[in-house]
Amino acid sequence: MNQEAQDTAISRRHKVFSALRIWAIARNTFTQLVRMKVFYFMLIFSALIIGANLLFLSFTFEQELKILKDVSFGAMSLFASIFAIVGTALLIPKDIEDRTLYTILTKPVPRIEYLLGKLMGILLLLAVSILLMSLLFFTVLYIRQHGILTEKIASFPRQVSDAQIALFREDIFSRGLQPELLLGVLAVFLKAAVAAAVALFVSTFASSTLFTIIVSLVVYFIGHAQSLALDYYFAEGEMPSAAQRFFAGLIGVVFPNFQLFNVTDGLTAGEVVSASLMARLVGLTAFYLTIYSLVSWLIFAKKEL
Amino acid sequence: MNIPHRIALFFSGRWLPVCLILAVAGFLRIPVERDMETEFKDQGFRDWSPGLSSRDQLTQAAFVGALGGFRSLVASVYHLKAHNAFVKKNWGEVERLRTVTASLQPKFWSYWDLAVWDMAWNAFGYYRGEAERHGDDFEGWRIENIVMPTYLQKGIDFAKRGLEWLPDDYRLLKVIADIYDQKMGNPEKSAEWYLKASRKPDAPSYVYRAYAHQLTFCQGMEEEAYRVNKDLYRNSGEITLTLLRDLERLEEDIVRRAASNMSYEELRAAALAEGAGYLEMASLGTYLLEVSKDLPAAIDIYGKVAVHPGAPSFYRRKLAFVMLKDPKQTGRAYQMLKALALRDPASLRREDIKEIARLESRLGIPKAERLKP
Amino acid sequence: MANASPPAVLIEGLTKIFRLPFRKEEVVAVDDLSLEVGAGEVYGLIGPNGSGKSTTMKVLLGLIAPSAGKASIFGLDSADTASRGSVGFLPENPYFYKYLTGSETLAFYGKLCGLSGKQIRRRSEELLELVDLTSARDRRLGGYSKGMLQRIGLAQALVGDPRLVVLDEPTAGVDPAGSRKIRDLVLELKRRGITVILSSHLLEQVQEVCDEVGIIFNGRLVREGKLDDLIAIEDQSEIVLQNASPQLLERIGALVDEEDGAQMLRCGNPRTTLERLFLKAISEGSSQEGEDH
Ligand SMILES: Nc1ncnc2c1ncn2[C@@H]1O[C@H](COP(=O)(O)OP(=O)(O)OP(=O)(O)O)[C@@H](O)[C@H]1O
Ligand SMILES: [Mg+2]
Repeated sequence: MNQEAQDTAISRRHKVFSALRIWAIARNTFTQLVRMKVFYFMLIFSALIIGANLLFLSFTFEQELKILKDVSFGAMSLFASIFAIVGTALLIPKDIEDRTLYTILTKPVPRIEYLLGKLMGILLLLAVSILLMSLLFFTVLYIRQHGILTEKIASFPRQVSDAQIALFREDIFSRGLQPELLLGVLAVFLKAAVAAAVALFVSTFASSTLFTIIVSLVVYFIGHAQSLALDYYFAEGEMPSAAQRFFAGLIGVVFPNFQLFNVTDGLTAGEVVSASLMARLVGLTAFYLTIYSLVSWLIFAKKEL
Repeated sequence: MNIPHRIALFFSGRWLPVCLILAVAGFLRIPVERDMETEFKDQGFRDWSPGLSSRDQLTQAAFVGALGGFRSLVASVYHLKAHNAFVKKNWGEVERLRTVTASLQPKFWSYWDLAVWDMAWNAFGYYRGEAERHGDDFEGWRIENIVMPTYLQKGIDFAKRGLEWLPDDYRLLKVIADIYDQKMGNPEKSAEWYLKASRKPDAPSYVYRAYAHQLTFCQGMEEEAYRVNKDLYRNSGEITLTLLRDLERLEEDIVRRAASNMSYEELRAAALAEGAGYLEMASLGTYLLEVSKDLPAAIDIYGKVAVHPGAPSFYRRKLAFVMLKDPKQTGRAYQMLKALALRDPASLRREDIKEIARLESRLGIPKAERLKP
Repeated sequence: MANASPPAVLIEGLTKIFRLPFRKEEVVAVDDLSLEVGAGEVYGLIGPNGSGKSTTMKVLLGLIAPSAGKASIFGLDSADTASRGSVGFLPENPYFYKYLTGSETLAFYGKLCGLSGKQIRRRSEELLELVDLTSARDRRLGGYSKGMLQRIGLAQALVGDPRLVVLDEPTAGVDPAGSRKIRDLVLELKRRGITVILSSHLLEQVQEVCDEVGIIFNGRLVREGKLDDLIAIEDQSEIVLQNASPQLLERIGALVDEEDGAQMLRCGNPRTTLERLFLKAISEGSSQEGEDH
């Protein structure tokens, strides 16, 4: 009797900040996106990289592996960025439009927790979908590099010695499934995470999904040219006019630098990126997420719903 | 009147702190980002900033894509287009597309190499066919003397531009040497570039050997050529057929010159001195063989050369062929050749095998004992 | 007991002005409204469309900030998230995540209220039973009818075991049987000592369940009080006749006219007393408005 009374009596002590609530919102967001059948995109992705694989067999293996990597990383980056922007833009304005937000915010949920939960849900979706894509990508790459090795051995006119096979293997595999590709995958995720944070910020003051998407996309594209604007700002030699410099500097300050996250372009050309640089890229992403969450909260905390 | 008021209202609310935070964050991150950017550049990344030249050649969409993290993919697409142009033998288009591809990912060696190959081999080869088809008319002359060399030069130019991005890539140096060797027949230039290539850290040993080989064709560089080839013979641990042939040719040259420039006494004194080298002996042998026609003495001295510890194996073949000139020694010469064929086939030449077969039938060697080809 | 602890709801001088973007005009949605609801009471907020019922509730729940005045729940200011720890809210025309099933929805809101997994299971079992959705618990909300959505919304409002329940037009779009169920539910909540504020235009319902009503018009509380007090109007008499011919009514009218100061206000079929009150309050409200201008 007493036991039951204790069970039904719900603690009214309110927690100012609760990771569990954020997690509940994040999981809900993730579930929502999954049930919107976003993962059907995997079919398109598979078709793309398998298509890339079948189409370009006639080239040198180096080219063939490069095209496979290009198409995979390109599609990955594209899907991740689209998910980040469109996913975020769909969720928060939709919650407001449908007034679902009323039912959430009239529970003891601080608004910052709602924002963090949504962002985390999107990040979760990004992580899972990028993981799935890279898994498929790596599998195809693995199969392909072994296929190329077999073809190469078979096409060799003479009997091949073990040493020679080892040489071929080294030559082919060094352009195939290498651990550095994981850094590329990480960079794709980091870039999408920043894009999601931007979209989150935009959606806190935008009045519609479409507006959020358009503004976020504009930020995304200008963000890729941000470093060019800064180059212009810091340019030595012939000085641009003060107004031009001010404008260039403004672009540099306002827009995030998305170009910095394009590690995959170099990786596919066989370049290496240091671990310390990647670590700083992670740190920079965390900084962006913090700043955008903060300003999103400032706007959203006082928003009239 | 109303609008400034409205703007003031806007900023006095929550937007003022937001703008402040964004600005402060911008000032905090920009130095870090610039720093990271230069480090990326130092590591060879972010190698591409859309210089006007390539922007001119890119369509708008490709340009945006190149900026938007799809540079590698765009490069691949241009590569495919270049390949299509190659199939259509549209060489101007090939050149343009190869330029775009290579400038999109200039750190990717393969794009430069393909460009060189398309110019100096594919286009060049195509125009050689055209020149032959035209025969001796003006067009044929024009193609052969103007168009074809242009494409070779284009190939070399591509390689040199690639070297600006990849200064340590031996392959681009080597491909220039290849063009001078295979397409222009310029052993001096070819040797020069092979030597440059061979100095790069991961150049395989055959690049230096190619340098040694080219040197043997350079007029007036015989000494250098001999020094390099001899050094390779002694120290490289890998004696290839080319090296042997080159060395044989070079030593024959030296020996022949010595035999024609020195007197018998001088030659004899040098050959019979304590610790005389095999070259001195071979010089004397050549003199005996060709000037004084003293076959037995020649056989004698060549016998010494053949067993000299420093002498390359081709002197044993030489000995056998000198002995063949003496009808009495045919049997022994045959045995020597046969032993060489079995133990050291690299020191023989293709036509030597036929010679052995001829000897076998002349000497009436039973079928079972004959050398199997 | 009620004196010792703060009232369930206290709204003082609440004014809410909406500024329309890019336009000069302003909308005064709520105008200097004050009300108090004691713990355990059922309070009905009635008023025509656009009178400010929903706006008042939103301010109370911290969804929008008041332009002036303040609102509090059990002594905690509405701006404070903690004040929402003991509230359940059912918005008008509620809409939930349609990809979730009934029980997932309750689990989600339960977690937001800080319930443990065990509590959530027990609670959602109980609530699904209460709102008669046990059979539909595993169906997605996308396939729910309007009435079912309203009921899952009620369950959602109750999941955190609130001491105050705010229902914005709980019977809008619900069929008579459904309204009846909701009314029974409100009575059940009242029996358990839970404070309820509800808004409605369905007067009979308010009449049946509310201890106290407030009539709101153009953002102002024009009448407020215990239901019985409001209904009793001292200076009026009511004659209810059966089978009266028109001639009889005419004669009564003539009699009334003869007497000084007496006036026949209305003649027709009888109405529920509250509805009459409602209409009267409104007509007074609008004439007051007219005088203001
Ligand atoms: N966000 C808003 N912006 C501008 N005006 C608003 C806003 N919300 C409400 N209003 C206005 O405030 C007034 C009160 O609206 P409210 O929704 O509170 O009325 P209500 O009593 O709930 O009406 P109903 O019975 O139709 O639900 C209306 O005139 C409405 O147009
Ligand atoms: Mg309303």
